[in-house]
Amino acid sequence: MLRTEIELAEESFLTDDFLRQLINVGEVDILVGLPTHNNAKTIGSIVHTIQSGILRGFPRERAVIINADGGSRDGTPELVTGVSIDDVRPSSNLYALRTLHSISTKYASSPESGIAFRTILAAAELLRAKACVLMSPESANIEPEWLSKLLGPIYRDGLDLVTPTYRRHKFEGLLITNLLYPMTRALYGLRIREAYAPEFGFSGRLGSQFLGQNIWNDGTGEAGVELRFTLAAIAGKYRICQSFLGEKIHVERHAADLVPVLRQTVGALFSALEPDFPVWSVVAGSQPAPTTGADQEVLLEPLRVNRKRLREMFSTGVAELESVFQSILSPTTVAELQRIALMGEEDFHYPAELWVKTVYEFAASYQKSVISRDHIIQALAPLFRGRVVTFLMENRNASAGGVENNIEALCLEFERLKPYLLELWEFRE
Amino acid sequence: MPLNRDALWYKDAIIYQFHVRTFHDSNGDGIGDFQGLEEKLDYLQELGISALWLMPFFPSPLRDDGYDIADYNTVHSSYGTLEDFRKLLSSAHDREIRVIIEMVLNHTSDQHPWFQESRSSKDNPRRDWYVWSDTDTRYKGARIIFLDTETSNWAWDPISKSFYWHRFFSHQPDLNYDNPDVREQMWNVMKFWLEMGVDGFRLDAVPYLVEREGTNCENLPETHTILKELRRKLDENFPGRMLLAEANQWPADLRPYFGDGDEFHMAFHFPLMPRMFMGLKLEDRKPITEILQQTPEIPASCQWSLFLRNHDELTLEMVTDMERDYMYDTYAESKTMRLNLGIRRRLAPLLDNDRRRMELMNGMLMSLPGTPIIYYGDEIGMGDNINLGDRNGVRTPMQWDGGLNGGFSAAAPERLYAPLIQDPVYGYPAVNVLRQRASEHSLLNWMRSIISVRKSTGVFGRGSIEFLYPANHRILAYVRRLGNEAVLVVNNLSSTAQAVELDLRRYKGNIPIEMFGRNMFPRVGDVPYLLTMGPYQFYWFRLKRI
Repeated sequence: MLRTEIELAEESFLTDDFLRQLINVGEVDILVGLPTHNNAKTIGSIVHTIQSGILRGFPRERAVIINADGGSRDGTPELVTGVSIDDVRPSSNLYALRTLHSISTKYASSPESGIAFRTILAAAELLRAKACVLMSPESANIEPEWLSKLLGPIYRDGLDLVTPTYRRHKFEGLLITNLLYPMTRALYGLRIREAYAPEFGFSGRLGSQFLGQNIWNDGTGEAGVELRFTLAAIAGKYRICQSFLGEKIHVERHAADLVPVLRQTVGALFSALEPDFPVWSVVAGSQPAPTTGADQEVLLEPLRVNRKRLREMFSTGVAELESVFQSILSPTTVAELQRIALMGEEDFHYPAELWVKTVYEFAASYQKSVISRDHIIQALAPLFRGRVVTFLMENRNASAGGVENNIEALCLEFERLKPYLLELWEFRE
Repeated sequence: MPLNRDALWYKDAIIYQFHVRTFHDSNGDGIGDFQGLEEKLDYLQELGISALWLMPFFPSPLRDDGYDIADYNTVHSSYGTLEDFRKLLSSAHDREIRVIIEMVLNHTSDQHPWFQESRSSKDNPRRDWYVWSDTDTRYKGARIIFLDTETSNWAWDPISKSFYWHRFFSHQPDLNYDNPDVREQMWNVMKFWLEMGVDGFRLDAVPYLVEREGTNCENLPETHTILKELRRKLDENFPGRMLLAEANQWPADLRPYFGDGDEFHMAFHFPLMPRMFMGLKLEDRKPITEILQQTPEIPASCQWSLFLRNHDELTLEMVTDMERDYMYDTYAESKTMRLNLGIRRRLAPLLDNDRRRMELMNGMLMSLPGTPIIYYGDEIGMGDNINLGDRNGVRTPMQWDGGLNGGFSAAAPERLYAPLIQDPVYGYPAVNVLRQRASEHSLLNWMRSIISVRKSTGVFGRGSIEFLYPANHRILAYVRRLGNEAVLVVNNLSSTAQAVELDLRRYKGNIPIEMFGRNMFPRVGDVPYLLTMGPYQFYWFRLKRI
C-alpha cells in the first residue's frame, strides 16, 4: 500500500501552483488549451481571439483558457494571463456574464507537445470540463468562429471529437495526403482528413479516457500524441465529426526538418498499430466522417517546389541506405526502389502500389523493431521525398477535383492493399 | 416610549415592507387592516424590525394596488379609519418601530377630484394641474414603462377632448409640477402625514415629475429642484424624518437624487438586486462586484436601500439584454412568470425553496452597504401564485398559522381579497409563522438571528466596504469597516464546497471571530488566509486585535 502511494506521488506532474490556480477556477463547461513556447509576438492577439470566440459562442458557459508553456523566455505566459476581457469588449461590443480565467503553467524547460497536451488533459479532468479545444499558437489567422465550430458539436450535440478541415494549397500537407490520411483511413475505417491537427475539439470524457491510457509512461506518448488521441477516439468508437475552418495560415517560421515531423506523425501512427491491432485488423473499407461546412477546399495558385532536389535526395537515400532497407523492406520492394532511383527526371515515377507496400512494410518492421525504431523512421524520409516528386508531377496541372481524385485513388490503394499489411503482421514474429 | 433621536436612524434600520391589506384582518371582512396590523406588531418587534414601509393605503379605485390615489388626506375605508392609523403609529413608536408611508407624487388616479375638475373644462382653475395636449406627439423621447399594457404615454380624454400625459397606466394621469400650486399642494399632503407622526416617505416614481421636449423626461434638473425644495421644507419643519427615492435607474443616474446630502436620504439600489440573483446562478461574483464598482460614492448622511424582492416584479430594466435573457431563462422559464421587464415571483420560489440559498442571499442583503428591506412573508419563505394576474401573485395574505385562512382572517375563504397560497410546498399549512416560531431551526428563527447579529454592530449600516478579490471567483469577500471595527464577510456563491485564499495581510495579527457562534479562527498572518466553505455558505468574522 505504501509502495503504491509513493508511486502515485512520483507520478504527479502538475505543480502545486498550477493546482492552486485550478482550484480557483473550479468546474468549467469550456476549456481552451493553449500550448506555447516563445510565442510572444502573436500570443496576445490569439488570446483575444479565443476570448472573443468564447464570448460569442458560449457567453453563459463557465470557461477557462489553460496555457501550458514549454519554458518560454520571451514572456509568453505573462502575456496569456495578462490579456483582459475588457480589451476585447470595446471593439467587439461583447460582454462577459462571468469571470473568464486565463491561467498558465510551465510544464518543462523545453517544449514537448505530449507533456503540454497531457497537462491540458489533466486540467480538463480536474475541472470536469465538458468540452475542450486545443488551439495552436502557430496559427496566424485564428477566427473567433473557430471556437464554435470546434466546440459546438461537442458541447451542444454530444460529440466527442471534432477535427478540422482547411482550405489548403494542393501541395500543402503532402505528408497528410500521401500517408497519414490514406493510411489511417484504410486501417481505422474512418475518413478523417486531419487526424493530426494543430487545433481540434474534444469532450471531457474522451480526454479523461485518453489521459488514463498507458502511453504516457511507455515512451510513446511524447511525440505525436495528438494523432494518437484521434486514433484512440476512432478505436474507442467515440462520436467524431469534421468541421471546416477555412484557410489556415501559419506564423512565419523556419521549415521543419522532415525527420522530426515523421517521428511525430508516422512514428505515432506506427506506434498505435500494435495496441490497436484488434480494432484495425477487422476493419474493411472506410466510411466518411460527418462534416460541417465544406469537406475540403483546394487552392491552385502556382507554387515553386524544387522537384529535382527532392528526386536527388531520394536517389541518394536509396543508394546510401541499401543495407537499412534490406532490413526493413522485402527484396522485391528494395529492387523496385533501386530501379526507379535510376530513372531520369521526366520519367521518374514512384507508383502508388509500390508506395503503399513501402509504407506497410515499414509499419511491420517498425512493429518488429528489426532495427532501431528511430532509424526506421529516418529511413522513410528519402522515400517519402520520392513519393512527393511523383505526387507533384501527377498533379502539376490538375484541377482541384483532379487532385482530390488522385488522393482518393491513393486512399483506395491503401485500402486494397490492407490485406498485405495484415499478412506482414501475422508473420511479424 | 420616545424614539431614539439619532437623525441617521435609517442607516441602521431593518425595514419591513408590506401592504396593510395583506397582513392581518381584525374585523373578518377578508381584508387586512390597521387594527390587524397593530395586533401583529409584537411579531415584527420580535423579528427585529425597526421600520415599517406601508404601501399605499389611501382611498383608491385600486386599479394599481393603491398607487392610483383618489384622496391623499385620509385612509381607504377597507383598512380602517384615520384614527386607527394614528393608533397604529403610536403603538409602533412604542416598540421603537418607525413607520414609513408611501407617497405617490407623480400621478393621481383619474378618479381623484383634482383630475375630475381638471378634465371638466379647459377653464377650470385646476386645468393646469395635469399635463394636457392637443396632440399625442409631444415628448416622443420618453419611453413607455408598462410595455405589456400601454402603447403610448398619452391618453385621449373624451370629456375634455384632449390628450393627457401618463407615464404609467392610462388611468394614472401625471400631475403637472411646473404648476406651483401643485407643488404647494403636494407639500401640504406630506405635511399632513408628518404632523401625524410618520417617520418618512417612500416617494414613488420620482424621476418622472417634470417633462421637457427633446429629453427622455427622466431625471431632469427641474425634477431635482422640486425634490430639493421638498427636502428643505422637511428638514426645516420635521428634522429626523426621512425621504426614500424610488428611481429605477443606473447608479450614475441615481447619484443626483442624493444631491449634496440635500435631496433624498435614501434610494433603492435597483441594479444590484438582479445581479445578486445572477451572481448566485452563475456562481460568480462578477455581476455583483461589477455593479458595486460602478456605484458612485454618496454623501455621508445618505444611504442605499437594498432588497431581494418586493411587491413588484423582479425588475430587469437595469440589466443588459444578454443579462435579461439569462435571468429569464434561469429564473422564469415559464412565460407566465414574466411581466413587463421582470419576473413576478417571490424569493423562495425563485431560489427553488433552497434554504441555503435563501440564507446566503439574506446574508448578502444584510452585509452589503445599505439598509435592508424585507418583503413580508419572505422571512418564512412564503410562495407565490402565478395564476393571479399582474403582480398579485406576490401579494397574497400573510400566513400566520395552519388554521382557517392561515390565521389571516376569520372571513369565509371566498371573501378574502386574494386566495391564500395552498400548494403542498408553500401553502399555509406547511409555511406559517406559528409553525416556524416553534421550530428552533426554522427560517424565521434564523432570520431573527441574523437581524440580531446585524444590529449588534453599526458597521453594516454605516461602515465602508473594501472588496477582496480572491482568485476563486465563486467567492464574494469584503471587509466592512467603521472606526476601529472591522468585519470580514465571505460568501460562497457556489453550490459546491470551495477553498479560498484571502489576502488579509492588512489585518495581520487580528483574530477572526465568527459572529454567529462567536468562535475564534486562527490568527491572520503573512500567508494567504485559507478558508474552506460549504455550498452557499457564508461567514461574518469580526476582526479583533487582541
